[in-house]
Amino acid sequence: MQQQLRIDENTALVDDMNAREILESYEEITVGEQLLDDVLFFNLFEKTFLLFSPDKSDPSSMAAVYLYNDELLDFPHIMLREERIAEGKEMPSGTYRYVCLFEQESIVNTLVPYEDKIIDCIDRLIELLSMNSSEQTREFQKEFMFYWNSESKSNRKYVAYIEHETQFTEMDAFYGENKVRLIERCISLSDIDDRNKAERKWVHHIENEVFYIPITDSRGILPPHKGFSWSADCVKNIVFGKRIEHIDDDTYSQIKTIIPKTQDLILVFGMKTEQSNVTFALKVRCNNHKGHTLLNKLLSDITAVEPLSTERKDYLFLCEQIGNDIGLMHKRVLLIGAGSLGSYVAFEMVKNGIQRLKIYDNDKLVEENILRWAFGGFGIGLNKAATLQFLLNMLHPEIKVEACAEKITEKSLTNEISNTDIIIFTIGSSDEQLKLNAALKRAHCSIPVIFVWLEEGGEYSHILVANYQKPGCFECLYTNDQGAYVNNRARKNTEIASEKGVIRNGCGGTRAAYGTAILLRTTAALLDVIRNIQGEKITKNTLIDISSDRIDISDTVFPMEACNCCGNSVQ
Amino acid sequence: MLKLKKEFADFYKEIKIDKETNALKEKREILEEDIKSKLPTILKNHNISIARSDIRMIDQGSYKYGTTISDDVVDRDVAVMIPLDISISSDPRKIKGYLRDSINIPARTVLIKEPCVRASYYDNGEEWLHIDLPLYSQSGTSVHLARGKEFSSDYSWESADPDGLNDYLCGQINGNDQLRRIICFIKKWRNVKYEGATSDHEVPPSIGLTLLACDCFSAQSTDEGDNDLLALQKTMKGMLDRFTYTVDENGDLVKTISRDLPVTPYTDVFKKMKDSSIAHMTTFYNRLSKAVENLTNAVNVESAHDAGEYVQKVLGSTFSVPAKEAVAATAQNRREHSFG
Ligand SMILES: [Zn+2]
Ligand SMILES: [Zn+2]
Repeated sequence: MQQQLRIDENTALVDDMNAREILESYEEITVGEQLLDDVLFFNLFEKTFLLFSPDKSDPSSMAAVYLYNDELLDFPHIMLREERIAEGKEMPSGTYRYVCLFEQESIVNTLVPYEDKIIDCIDRLIELLSMNSSEQTREFQKEFMFYWNSESKSNRKYVAYIEHETQFTEMDAFYGENKVRLIERCISLSDIDDRNKAERKWVHHIENEVFYIPITDSRGILPPHKGFSWSADCVKNIVFGKRIEHIDDDTYSQIKTIIPKTQDLILVFGMKTEQSNVTFALKVRCNNHKGHTLLNKLLSDITAVEPLSTERKDYLFLCEQIGNDIGLMHKRVLLIGAGSLGSYVAFEMVKNGIQRLKIYDNDKLVEENILRWAFGGFGIGLNKAATLQFLLNMLHPEIKVEACAEKITEKSLTNEISNTDIIIFTIGSSDEQLKLNAALKRAHCSIPVIFVWLEEGGEYSHILVANYQKPGCFECLYTNDQGAYVNNRARKNTEIASEKGVIRNGCGGTRAAYGTAILLRTTAALLDVIRNIQGEKITKNTLIDISSDRIDISDTVFPMEACNCCGNSVQ
Repeated sequence: MLKLKKEFADFYKEIKIDKETNALKEKREILEEDIKSKLPTILKNHNISIARSDIRMIDQGSYKYGTTISDDVVDRDVAVMIPLDISISSDPRKIKGYLRDSINIPARTVLIKEPCVRASYYDNGEEWLHIDLPLYSQSGTSVHLARGKEFSSDYSWESADPDGLNDYLCGQINGNDQLRRIICFIKKWRNVKYEGATSDHEVPPSIGLTLLACDCFSAQSTDEGDNDLLALQKTMKGMLDRFTYTVDENGDLVKTISRDLPVTPYTDVFKKMKDSSIAHMTTFYNRLSKAVENLTNAVNVESAHDAGEYVQKVLGSTFSVPAKEAVAATAQNRREHSFG
């Protein structure tokens, strides 16, 4: 097929061929009725297809293929739902099933010449129809959730929250208005007790016990599709496979031991393949045989199985979907300062895999600051830490943000060390940071501490990573080589430039003027620093300079041996 | 990029069986328990005295050294060894009959075969598992295998060393993952090519293929990892080269192969196949030559797609052929790399 065209694809040979000529060049294709210029039927492998060529006037368009009048063919990527066309229009009556040949937005169509789009489309169709059974299984598994959820008859959606996806576990079911939450017991959701007026939003139901069963070998496990519905045998095959074992020993020994208390059950299966990570729930209706183990119940008591429309929404899953560092999930972060920088940092941290955050700030949000506070208009006149807590907890019910509406003291900071894995300062004030830095040193703090601050003028900012077991601390920057106090040596801004950036607003108060670019830039650099500490790419105490054109290890002398806090003179 | 590396890895994942399924383990344990609890009584009725604790079960076959591949019917081998004086119990057919009687219940179909007693299990009328039980007598250090069908005049206690064979194969295979994969591939080839076989004797036995594969194995790897394509080609070529000419009953030259057991009784594992018909040897030789030819082509062609098509001719449609290079390259160049 297509050898000639393929070889010459960059020459003019394929130019100016129409769809009919292209189709005719395939020996396995017989061209049928032509409906429009480049819309025509063809036969391939004893099936009839309709080709819609791309729109010549729109370079971003692509070719499409429909399977005509065949409701039985069950094949990956051939859609379940058909369009039914009645007599009388441009198209012959019958059913048309769309064939999905391209992953969404996987190709830049504009780069592909018109003729190649048709050739590519037909090549993919031939490839699709020539798949062997293991390739078909792989393709079906890639779109498992689409097929599974299409099969659900219930209008409720089941939302799974799982933290240990490789372990068998019991789950709790909470029913909401049109959703059901299936929750692994170790997960607590912060909104589960929410009420709508007097009514609970989520009601714990116990009439069906729920079990999560991880599948370790996905061979041969297919979603329901045309001509194949799920039955008790599919469940039996997973928990007690004859030829292939689909579950691990631990799961098997648990289902052999547990005696379910309810007649009907909900099973949640988790299946990870190279290409996909799917979680699907089903209701299992059973005869009532008291005393049967879960295994016996599944092997001998099932009367019906009903696929339930399922999606997984736990924090772990959402983090995996966007490539977050899963290692951060159980780190507790103490954030000191919920001003402009702190608000941006807090928001991004919870979106980057940090689930547990404690925020200290005694300040209230004032209206003139809303353009440089991450959340704009909400919470004016309220405590900044409490406002962040409220907003961040709304993002996801597994996010646990605590707020302290007070100024952190040396004593409270020292007490927090043992409950924290990382400390981040976003307060700016040199006096405060020097004081707290000294307190951490005195307390022999052994967890990583990160100081983040912006320079006036909106151009430069800095990140300092300090491990108090090693040389280098915040005070080093305020110390010269004689051990005398000097102003922050990391500063990159000149006096004149800084004068321009200062706004005086009466009573001697000054504010550094800057847009939000420096906040975003610094926050992004901080996220990288946290990842690199976690990944042990940053192991020494490090000072980082950030500007609009670079992020780099600082050339400022650091650590400073003469430092009165961490240097040589200190024991 | 190592040609067909991913395809071979996927293929192995698709066909390998790591260990017994729980369903199989349960059936085997019940079977073993039945033997231990019922066989001593049955033997006692025939004036043979053994204790339950005298019965020894020896895990044998591919499950023991991890070369099991998935198949429609699961094939499990467990040897049963009992203390027995064969100068008194000289007819192995009778003892095999007693073993059969100890396990003959409706849940399984039990049949006496020439080298063993077979318990078969059915699911909706289709056999999904059989457990083969070769029966050994032990007296002092001498061990004998009970051979012969129930009513056959051809029967014997054959000197044997099941533990020695296990040790030999485990020593060859354990710790050599590429060899383990190559054995699986060769067995899969055999299953594909002999799918329509009507009698066991037509088909090269697993033990024969396994021993030959160990003999002829050629480890192949590069910086990029193991080269299973080349290892398979060289190993099967080595097996092919082991065939020699012999003269058949019509005086024609035919290719045959022999491989003696590495332990007592040192007999040729292909003897039954040869005795059944020399034509089976010719077929074996021809099929193996064809496989080597296809694999050699796969090694020599540049295109991974074309190589995949050659390998598919050997290992069957379960082996995935990678997309044509032109299609793959075009797709790569035009792949969307930007996101909003
Ligand atoms: Zn698709
Ligand atoms: Zn210092």
